[in-house]
Amino acid sequence: MRLIKKTNIEFVKHYKVFLTISGIYLAISLISIFFVRGLNYGLDFTGGTLLQVKFENPITTAEVRQALAANRLENSNIQKAGESNEFIIRTPLQTSTDSTVVVMTKALESIPNNSFVTNKAESVGPKIGKELRSSAYMSIFWAMVVILIYISFRFQFRFALGAVVALVHDVLFTLGVFSFFQLEISLSTIAAFLTIVGYSLNDTIVIFDRVRENMKTKHLGTVEKLFDISINETLSRTIITGGTTLIVVLVLAFAHGEVKIFSIAMIIGILVGTYSSLYIASPIVIMFQKKLDVRKK
Amino acid sequence: MFKKNVVRFILIGLTLVLAGYSLYWTIAYHSFSDQKIEAMRTEGSLEKFESRIIRLGLDLQGGMHIVMELDLPKLVETLASNKTPQFTVLLNEAAAEATANEEDFFDVFRRKVSNSNIKLVRHFNGRGFKNDDIMDNLESEAKDAVNRAMEVIRNRVDQFGVSEPSIQKAGKYRIIVELAGIKDIARARELIQNTALLEFILLKDPAVTQQFITAADNYLKTGQHSDLTAEALNAPKDSSVALKESKDKAMSVNELLGVNAGGTDLEAGVADSGLVVDEEIYKDRPFSSLLRNIDNQIGVPERNFYAVKKILSNPEIKQLIPFDSKFLWSAKTERRTMQDGRTENFYILYHVNNEPGLLGKYVTKASASLGGAGTQSSGQPIVNMEMNSEGARIFAKLTGANIGKQLAVVLDDKVWTAPFLKVKIPDGRAYIEGMGDMEEAKDIAIVLRAGALPAPVKTIEERTVGPSLGRDSINTGVRLGAIAFLLVIVFMGIYYKYSGLLADLALILNVVFVLAILSVLQATLTLPGIAGLILTVGMAVDANVLIFERIREEIEKGKTVRAAIDTGYGRAVITIFDANLTTLFSAIILMQFGTGPVKGFAVTLFWGIVSSFFTAIFVTRTFFNWATEKWVVKKLSI
Repeated sequence: MRLIKKTNIEFVKHYKVFLTISGIYLAISLISIFFVRGLNYGLDFTGGTLLQVKFENPITTAEVRQALAANRLENSNIQKAGESNEFIIRTPLQTSTDSTVVVMTKALESIPNNSFVTNKAESVGPKIGKELRSSAYMSIFWAMVVILIYISFRFQFRFALGAVVALVHDVLFTLGVFSFFQLEISLSTIAAFLTIVGYSLNDTIVIFDRVRENMKTKHLGTVEKLFDISINETLSRTIITGGTTLIVVLVLAFAHGEVKIFSIAMIIGILVGTYSSLYIASPIVIMFQKKLDVRKK
Repeated sequence: MFKKNVVRFILIGLTLVLAGYSLYWTIAYHSFSDQKIEAMRTEGSLEKFESRIIRLGLDLQGGMHIVMELDLPKLVETLASNKTPQFTVLLNEAAAEATANEEDFFDVFRRKVSNSNIKLVRHFNGRGFKNDDIMDNLESEAKDAVNRAMEVIRNRVDQFGVSEPSIQKAGKYRIIVELAGIKDIARARELIQNTALLEFILLKDPAVTQQFITAADNYLKTGQHSDLTAEALNAPKDSSVALKESKDKAMSVNELLGVNAGGTDLEAGVADSGLVVDEEIYKDRPFSSLLRNIDNQIGVPERNFYAVKKILSNPEIKQLIPFDSKFLWSAKTERRTMQDGRTENFYILYHVNNEPGLLGKYVTKASASLGGAGTQSSGQPIVNMEMNSEGARIFAKLTGANIGKQLAVVLDDKVWTAPFLKVKIPDGRAYIEGMGDMEEAKDIAIVLRAGALPAPVKTIEERTVGPSLGRDSINTGVRLGAIAFLLVIVFMGIYYKYSGLLADLALILNVVFVLAILSVLQATLTLPGIAGLILTVGMAVDANVLIFERIREEIEKGKTVRAAIDTGYGRAVITIFDANLTTLFSAIILMQFGTGPVKGFAVTLFWGIVSSFFTAIFVTRTFFNWATEKWVVKKLSI
């Protein structure tokens, strides 16, 4: 079976159009992230407490709210979870020194004629939240640095530049989607971002690798031609691998909680990662190469 | 050539046998019945078995993860004597600055001290004379305290009976406690977090306490402070108007404390969240009207708890509290029936000396039992304590000199009992009463035996997962994983025919090897770990896709099957290497920076990629070689 026959698509031809579109989108993302909607940081980064409880008997959100308010936890966010009688309660950081988990549990225990089990409790102090956030940023930063060094070493610096710009594009793109839809950014999302970085890079390197090979074996006039041929030759692989990985994360998106958000980030990442390998990473190398050629002349 | 293949097959066989052996334990363990596991536990062979199986993360089997940190400013404060305002201000500033700038507290404190003219020797005895020496001493005291705290927590956990507890130090002043598969999470939390600082403290003379209450009333009442009253209570200025409805009416907390949570809470039943205040008395005595007399002690109705707490923490009111004393709350509420027949829960407020008369560190034995017949706590659970001779001597002196006064038994700043001293107690025996049930009494006895935490420790992170949620996660994770895996397998089989089946074999081997590696490394499988495992399936597929596509290309160019396979592998391996190595870097960085769940993800991703080099390249190549040598393959099924 064969899905992709020999193709001869001119990918590189309109690269300026794609770079402009991407540039505009990223600008909108950045404005959204920094000025308009911001990012919806989860408990891991803001600090606070989350309790997931399941009551034995039917109970309304108002009743739960009342019990919490009576214990000065009126600023809690109460959400019904999948099953009936199950609630996810989020409380921002408290000034009191008492364990918020304990205070919340006591508040819920005061509800008459109804018992509950705690399925999940998470409490993150302000200090830890700050630390987790900075370590998350550090991990993405260092991943980029290491990748830049490795590709410069294995290929050439202009390839590394193209790859890293594509990665920044992918992460910003995904962050933009998270900002528009106010999806929660948790530790798992950060893991997803790094996986996206890894995946997108995979794609880019496969193309670069073919470019490197064709550079030696074929003599194809222009840089554009070189990239077009290489992208077309690897297109079949790009689509098959992208497709199978997409199948996997689409199935995982049926899970609940963290894994679901992780999968959503991955779905966005795979699509945008494939796009950026073709339309961001390659054009940037070409632009760089052209500048070099001009200078040589 | 044929011999070379034999070597390759033997190598594959060997790794399979090794993988199978290391996975055997996990498979066997999960096939055991609960009784068998219990039997093995009593027999003592379970531990060895458990050390060989893949551990499930807290998110999969339930359990608790707590990160505790030594409260350094508080530790320094406790160690200091003769706390002048200058010292306290300096300490508070250092604490605030350290938190804000994420700096080491001692670094900030050192800087503050050297920038001021303070002489630390005035505040610390026997820790040296120069400021620097004292700072060094305090810092080493703190480091020592962390180690002792770990020891204490380990003791408590051991007595509680948890299999495989993990208690680790993180950074300089942090302790991470992980209790997997634990059922009674609330109990465990109490047990670990209790500082277990036991003190025996004399109560203040009731007359002194009364003076304070009157002063507080006057302060809140006087005209010029009426604004402050409102401020203290955070109430609107005309709060008195709101009170003019009925006597002893229950007033909404929101109304009095001015907490306006969107107004929707008003429907939440005013009576249940109201304060118990007598309107007329409130005007005259704003503070004492919140209190009730319970057996000649200061009772605070549960609903007034926060209001009273707030007033007592008002800085102006704090000034009125005699400098050598403080207020403590009872550990439990007492239930009383009011005159109008309603029942009400009361906290008792104790006015005690600042300095404890005796510290709990002299306690050598502690055990739970039921109170003896004829005593006040007859038939109730109590904790009996025995002290060493030094403690007994101090205790005898303390009890002898204060007959007729009340002595509060204080655990972690909460008063459990405050009996009147009737006679001198010479033998160092004492007991604590007021426990709700025998289990609670036993837990308190455990923490008293294990000793107090040597320094104030606060919980900065807690994550617990109930056992049922963990089971659900496993089921969903495994089910979805299996579906995704099957889809990929079927697709590969259809798309690449026999070669696809070979890739499928490689995929299955990849999962087996990763699981085997996890069990050998005693790594923990978490839910994100399962996600990572599934993702590696995607990545491993990529390797075979790259190879197969390349082989197809070479065949199209007119190469023979044999030559196409050789070139295909030769070229594709370079690409696979470059591409996967970068993902490997991401995984390593995640392992370095990540915590908990993220780490679990990174570990499986890392080993998944490593093992895919072997399965997707080496194993499939071996089969190709073997097939092309055995038969003359004219047309490759790819």
